[in-house]
Amino acid sequence: MSKTKKPKDTPSVSRRNFLKAASMAGGAISAAGLIVAPRDRAKAAPRPIPTPLGPGPVEVTLDINGQKHVLRVEPNVTLLEALREHLGMTGTKRICDHGECSACTVLIDGRATCSCMTLALDVQGKKITTIEGLAQGKTLDPLQKAFIDHDAFQCGFCTPGMILSLKATLNKHPHATPEQIKAAVAGNYCRCGALPNILKAGNAVAKG
Amino acid sequence: MYPTGRTSQDAPEKEVKKKRIKAKVGLAERPQVVEIEVPEQELPVWDLDSKLAVVGKRVPRIEGAEKVTGQAKYALDYVSKDLPGLLYGKTLRSPYPHARVEKIDASKARELPGVKAVLLFDKGEGFDPGKILDVMTEDAVSQPKGRVVIFEGEEVAAVAAESESIAEEAIRQIEVKYRRLPHVVDHEEAVKPGAPIVHRGMKDNLRRVDPQVRGDIDQGFKQAEVTIERTLRVPVLLHNSPECHVAVAKWEGPKLTVWASTQGVNGFRDELSKTFRIPPSDVRVITDHMGGGFGSKFGMQAYGAIAAALAKKAGAPVKLGYDRHEENLAAGNRPNATMWIKLGAKKDGTLTALHCRSFGTAGVGWDATVTPMMGIVYKCPNLRLEDTDVCTHAGQGMPFRAPGFPQGSFAIESAMDELAAELKMDPLALRRKNFVDQPLQALDKIYDLGAEKIGWSRRAEMGPETSSAVKRGIGMGTAVWPNYCGPPAHCRVTINSDGSAEAAMAVQDIGTGTRTLMAMVTAEELGLPVEAVKVTMGDTGLELIAPDSGGSVTALSITPAVRAAAAAAKAELFKRVAPALKAKPEDLVFENGKIFAPANPRKSLTWQQATARLGATPVSGRGERLPNVEPYAGIPLWGAQFAEVEVDTETGLVRVLRIVAVHEAGRALNPAMFESQVNGGVMMGVGYALLERRTMDQMEGRVVNPNLEDYKILSSFELPEIETVIVEPITPMNNIGGKGLGEPPTVPTAAAVANAVAQALGVRIYELPLSPDRVLETLEARKEA
Repeated sequence: MSKTKKPKDTPSVSRRNFLKAASMAGGAISAAGLIVAPRDRAKAAPRPIPTPLGPGPVEVTLDINGQKHVLRVEPNVTLLEALREHLGMTGTKRICDHGECSACTVLIDGRATCSCMTLALDVQGKKITTIEGLAQGKTLDPLQKAFIDHDAFQCGFCTPGMILSLKATLNKHPHATPEQIKAAVAGNYCRCGALPNILKAGNAVAKG
Repeated sequence: MYPTGRTSQDAPEKEVKKKRIKAKVGLAERPQVVEIEVPEQELPVWDLDSKLAVVGKRVPRIEGAEKVTGQAKYALDYVSKDLPGLLYGKTLRSPYPHARVEKIDASKARELPGVKAVLLFDKGEGFDPGKILDVMTEDAVSQPKGRVVIFEGEEVAAVAAESESIAEEAIRQIEVKYRRLPHVVDHEEAVKPGAPIVHRGMKDNLRRVDPQVRGDIDQGFKQAEVTIERTLRVPVLLHNSPECHVAVAKWEGPKLTVWASTQGVNGFRDELSKTFRIPPSDVRVITDHMGGGFGSKFGMQAYGAIAAALAKKAGAPVKLGYDRHEENLAAGNRPNATMWIKLGAKKDGTLTALHCRSFGTAGVGWDATVTPMMGIVYKCPNLRLEDTDVCTHAGQGMPFRAPGFPQGSFAIESAMDELAAELKMDPLALRRKNFVDQPLQALDKIYDLGAEKIGWSRRAEMGPETSSAVKRGIGMGTAVWPNYCGPPAHCRVTINSDGSAEAAMAVQDIGTGTRTLMAMVTAEELGLPVEAVKVTMGDTGLELIAPDSGGSVTALSITPAVRAAAAAAKAELFKRVAPALKAKPEDLVFENGKIFAPANPRKSLTWQQATARLGATPVSGRGERLPNVEPYAGIPLWGAQFAEVEVDTETGLVRVLRIVAVHEAGRALNPAMFESQVNGGVMMGVGYALLERRTMDQMEGRVVNPNLEDYKILSSFELPEIETVIVEPITPMNNIGGKGLGEPPTVPTAAAVANAVAQALGVRIYELPLSPDRVLETLEARKEA
């Protein structure tokens, strides 16, 4: 589906609006029902039809950086919006808002995930790590330190997403190869040209 | 044409007392002592004999910890937690490239719960942000004919609401009836007679720029023994800065504060002041960190004007930003060009004539000029350079890293390589033959180093004759950019009683390391470690004017002023402690951790002891950027890049394996940041060569790829190995000994890649990007020929 916006007077469905609309109509359906269902159906009994949520705010509990946050948001609010606009945690950046740039990457149960493509509602009960939660107090994560040492940022806007994308790979493969490091950030958008040094920083941490 | 940072506060030139001083400058291996005339108060140049402890070192950026922990605050990061009651603005844009707004009805939007302000831009033609007060209305104006929009993405209305989604919904609820009018988005179509006219009142879509003429072009071609003549094309590029244009506006009575993602807080402030008819002192623009601009973020623009107008109307702070789609329709682009170029030379390679006629489009805006680069890159006695802007129904062009130069570079460097082939001459030898010789210039060394590092002699084994389907080639191009740095820039350095220092200036750090450079220069002049220096910047409230960041002007416009301020602050400190040391302030020095008079070294104070004496009244000094020293300011920023590529003749895919980028910026203030700048320029240049182009649907007149999936830039898997080589000819142009660096690294990259591809294939592609389809078509055409 093209993400090019249609003229005002023709009906338009963008991928993101679809995601939002699906959620409006049936909250949990979007993830639990539409996407996972076909495989589930084969082995499990039919699920009860979930209660539609919204419009109107619902309570969402998020476990972010080891802390529980309870907030009331519309069911179509993305995790990115919840973090930035509702919790004021603006370390997670927005570049495209369409899952094309990975700037909004957070870790969900350790997996690098675009928070702009994830509904806040769908990640309740999961462990969410944002860039604000990476350092231990004042002690930076080795990856954060490596970014400073290798001048791995310029404007710094893609940096949180870059670090978390690498973090997910390094958590899985502490001694990741240069190819794995490249793959970790292959979907991350950077315009200043920090990539060569980002790869250096990632490789330095992988070498230990 | 280029951002100059001139602001309303520029003082007229005043008579200054001058002195003559000497400086040992140029390359370390061939130093030259020059005598220069400078204003009485100017500091001695940091020259080849200066022993510097901080400047020239790989100092990590001082905002590093903030940026890697997510604490660095960008304009986009201002949310209701920071500004209670913050509203979200959104702009309604024309979906058509050319249409008349016959009817506009915002009543439904206005009634939507949570909507706090609605503005319609329903007067006149086009949308001029500077005239927002005159064109905005609350209700549709009953114009007899209705307003005309002239590009897809033009501002039609704006709303402010309690959340972004309510604002988006309100925009959808505004009903607009458009009547489409004929459009033209291709510049080669827009020049034809009968093409739809973009700007009413013009007889065609053309604006001819005054040609640049040197010598006698006809005579030059008569003298030529070989001529070549080619037509080349480059596409429109989109900046796609990571942080979209965004401004947060807040009124307090008649005073306006704006947090903006801008390359120039001062220019932004001045335009707001004019637009909203309030004194500059009532406007404050703040940019703490910003997510890239690359030329697209000068001035107030529509986002600044609309944010401030909505905030005024709603009586609450408003954040208005573009989304990625809007960014790619309305926030600027690099103009394209169709360039006809003709070169004439003697058999020994000496250029006798250069003629270029170029036309390109900056959409509804102006300035698609590409030839200035050709006028300065090689020595040629006779030239004629002609540019024509062609208006089309598309978003306006904006400066884009080295405006006009990468385009011009592609044309002239391609032509130079073809001329070399015609002359059976080595392409690098042809460049050396027509080398512009200037004082303290190191281009000869730049060529030597580049050729050595890339292994230029290996070219002989490359090219189309090799047996493999994958061909290799090496090509090069020369980087050049005029020096634009200079006054005005004002800095204040304060020394506190705890021994720390603070450097303050209303300049923004756009990611180029400006903040760190201010700290480094202050630390160097005061004799302190970088950690002891705090930097306050990006705020017009400081009243310390500095240039907007563009045209490679920032670093060397501001650092001489920073140094002067630090020296003045240190002199003030010496005045305060001189009585205790029983010495004259001007006799004191700070060396090896102690302040003392060399005549009486036993009586001394440590820095901490001295500053402790300041008590509650810290000392500060102001410094001003003094004029450049001539003739050195006239010497451009030079460099050269060499590319090695691999082309798969079966798939058409080009891979850039390696770029050797040799650059000079006078003194390299921080080699790590120097390399980062070069990496950025090279990556953008390789993207220009291989991937990037804005694609328009000619029939619909709309941008087909206004997103980051279909507008592809270089990613980690296409990244070539980049080797940066720093050449350091110290200049006596200012007290630091440096020049700028932002633009040159992206000037020759695409040309060098194209030349390498041409060598690999034995045939040239005359249009960027060098996409697989073009490679295959070109190979096919050669087979048929």
